[in-house]
Amino acid sequence: MLRYIGKRILSLIPVMIVVSFVAFLIVYMIPGGPASSILGLEATADEIHALNAQLGFDRPFFVQYGDWIVGVLHGDWGNSYFLHESVSTLLGEYFLPTISLAIFAQIIALLISIPLGLIAAYKRGTVIDITAVTVSLIGSALPGFLLSMFLMLALSVYNHIFPVAGYADLSQGLGEHLKYLFVPALSLGIVQAAYLTRMIRSSMLDVLYKNFIHTARAKGLKEKKVLLVYGLKNAAPVILTAVGQSFGSLITGTIVTETIFNIPGLGTLTMNSINRRDVFVIQGVVLFVTLLYVLVNLAVDILYGFVDPRLQPGRK
Amino acid sequence: MKNRKAIRVIALAMCATLLFAGCGGSGKKSSSDNSASTAATETKDELHIAVSANPPSLDVQTSNSSLVGEIAAHVFEPLFAMDDKYEPTPVLAESYEVNDDGSVYTIKLREGVKFHNGKEMTSEDVVASMNRWIKNCSRAKALLEGSVFEAVDDYTVTLTVNKPASDILMILANPSMFAAIYPKEVVDSATEEGISEYIGTGPYKMTEWKQDQYVKLDKFEDYKNSDNATTGLAGKKEAATPTLYFDVVTDVSTRMAGVQNGQYDIAEEVPTDNYEELSNDKNLKLDVTNGGTLNLFLNTTEGIMANEDMRQAVLAVLNCEDILYASYGNEDLYELNAGWMNLSDAQWSTEAGKEYYNQNDEKKAKELLKKAGYNNEEITLVTTPDYPEMYNATLVLQEELQKIGVNAVVDSNDFNTFMEHRSDPKQFSMYITSNSYALLPVQLSALNKEWAGLDAPEVTEGIDAIRFADSTEDAKTAWENLQTFLYEDGAASVIGHYTSVNALNAKAEGYEFLRYALYWNTTVSK
Repeated sequence: MLRYIGKRILSLIPVMIVVSFVAFLIVYMIPGGPASSILGLEATADEIHALNAQLGFDRPFFVQYGDWIVGVLHGDWGNSYFLHESVSTLLGEYFLPTISLAIFAQIIALLISIPLGLIAAYKRGTVIDITAVTVSLIGSALPGFLLSMFLMLALSVYNHIFPVAGYADLSQGLGEHLKYLFVPALSLGIVQAAYLTRMIRSSMLDVLYKNFIHTARAKGLKEKKVLLVYGLKNAAPVILTAVGQSFGSLITGTIVTETIFNIPGLGTLTMNSINRRDVFVIQGVVLFVTLLYVLVNLAVDILYGFVDPRLQPGRK
Repeated sequence: MKNRKAIRVIALAMCATLLFAGCGGSGKKSSSDNSASTAATETKDELHIAVSANPPSLDVQTSNSSLVGEIAAHVFEPLFAMDDKYEPTPVLAESYEVNDDGSVYTIKLREGVKFHNGKEMTSEDVVASMNRWIKNCSRAKALLEGSVFEAVDDYTVTLTVNKPASDILMILANPSMFAAIYPKEVVDSATEEGISEYIGTGPYKMTEWKQDQYVKLDKFEDYKNSDNATTGLAGKKEAATPTLYFDVVTDVSTRMAGVQNGQYDIAEEVPTDNYEELSNDKNLKLDVTNGGTLNLFLNTTEGIMANEDMRQAVLAVLNCEDILYASYGNEDLYELNAGWMNLSDAQWSTEAGKEYYNQNDEKKAKELLKKAGYNNEEITLVTTPDYPEMYNATLVLQEELQKIGVNAVVDSNDFNTFMEHRSDPKQFSMYITSNSYALLPVQLSALNKEWAGLDAPEVTEGIDAIRFADSTEDAKTAWENLQTFLYEDGAASVIGHYTSVNALNAKAEGYEFLRYALYWNTTVSK
């Protein structure tokens, strides 16, 4: 098991090098350096060129990339041109809102999707099933930003139940923290629930007609036990994969929701740093997000072993 | 079959629910209107101002971002600032004298003014700050390079100027990239990236800056207030609301929703699309102020655009009213006027050269094209959708040019790429930008050869004629001639004057706007 984990982590190194190279190259190739963002619309060409040169942005690609990679190997991820802080500090600061939002959204998604998926599979072909499938299809088709806007209008603008936007740190209390995160988490959770409901329903359907389920019923076990213990446990690997992917996308891809709700998370940082051509921050975010995604998948692989020992990594 | 029918019914029900969520709120809104009308005399302790971006720094001496200027105006103060009639007025200066030939200004400083760190401001802080400003602020450098501040005693400094001119005090009082006075230690420890501590003498001190979230300013209890009435950027500053939050809300819909819901007391930069909706909201009032000019800049050096007849053809076809309507969507939000300067500035506002403005004459334009020998060369209009008014104006301009047979192509990119393309004369034929008002004509982007490449001796001579004129009347005449030259040369044209719209809580009082929104006397009843 440990060997397997070690191997997976080692395989990250070439991935990270390729990803960092490509990201750096893309940013290098886009016209306009960070100076335009710092100086604003009315800056003259001279001022922009002078500041870009001062920041070292006029040097050849390999010199810039080489400098950066040497820094990273020494534990220095560089500094933000715009925010005047080190990239590692920024990642730490901006990751907390994102992870909080992702966990909250994932909980909402699971609270909606597990009962809905189970009931839809159990009551296959009935109105309940059709409703669940239709709702989840609409949820999948609905653009996240539109849903966010609808929820913001309904819960914040017309009814002042939740704040429109913003973020309260955990240090201000859990209640305050969740109050700001509820609407964005609901918006993300609904979209994820739509996907998870369909996955849970179909994986349960695969299991519910297997012989061991018939046997369990023939033994006279209660339906609840058949469904939750025999059914859900055997459908778990597929569900776990879906939840892993869903969580991975939540911690790495909430740019739109974070922008709409003004949450200072990784999504906002990514968007702003691209707009500002804040190259070291872009690099930092890309690598960090790659790392997170790989780690989430690794965690899912390891969890397989717990729900089904036959799938334990490294087992022959 | 039965299943399909059920699916259709459910699908319809879902759509209806979503529609109700979107539209059904107006009734609820009116009920909140009623509750909001409860009279109250107590004012809020915190003011939340939703701004559209995270400021890149608060080093106002070197950043020409309007947002930086606005926040900094509450934290830092200059020696002189503009009053509401655009006259330089002492702020940290007590008085001043000029010698006979206008080469030396002796400035007495106010005594007992404290910085936010408790230290008293003296001449060493002023000398360090002002010399840094002349060296690092591009606008000051262009006009005052070689001028030097020196200390005479603790409360007196002298400014020896590079060349005597009539506008020295105006330059010192310019609100854009203003000459903020920092403590000497802050100036000494500044790096190439700017100052690292934000310590000023203003009515508010900066207490917290959460990047991409907010800048928090708290009342400075030891602020030495002026005895004079508030006027523009000078006079009394009360810090009437103890805490100001400049909340960074980049998404415009969120900014508008937040001010409607009451989470923000003020939302800056109301988009023109929301103007009518917000002006009908009883909980809000809108502040509409002249903000600057929407301008067209033409390439004067490369390809067919170097031909003056070609540029005049472009000016001849311009229908400024159509362009402004497309950009701002409401007649209340723009004004047609050929002048480059603030319309309320009696000294500089002029319509000289208006015969070239808003001509909307296709026939004349076609004749000029023929005269220029135009042969379907590609004319590139660079723009960015990040500034919707500039983008919309460019699309209308493209259509107007195509109507007279010009092969006009729009090159639309994100902001940074746009800035790169518009700074290289090989990459653009013309572009439109919205520029906030300059205080002095000599500071206009149009006259800066680095802006759109206009490098004509008439410009340099015109600038000198304005700066070194014997009287204000002569200076105005010189500016009228220079503005006429800009039109005659076809180097640039004003399209119109735009307004800045901010939405305020209807219970806000004491808000003022001069170049920036000023909140030091603003309160909002609870």
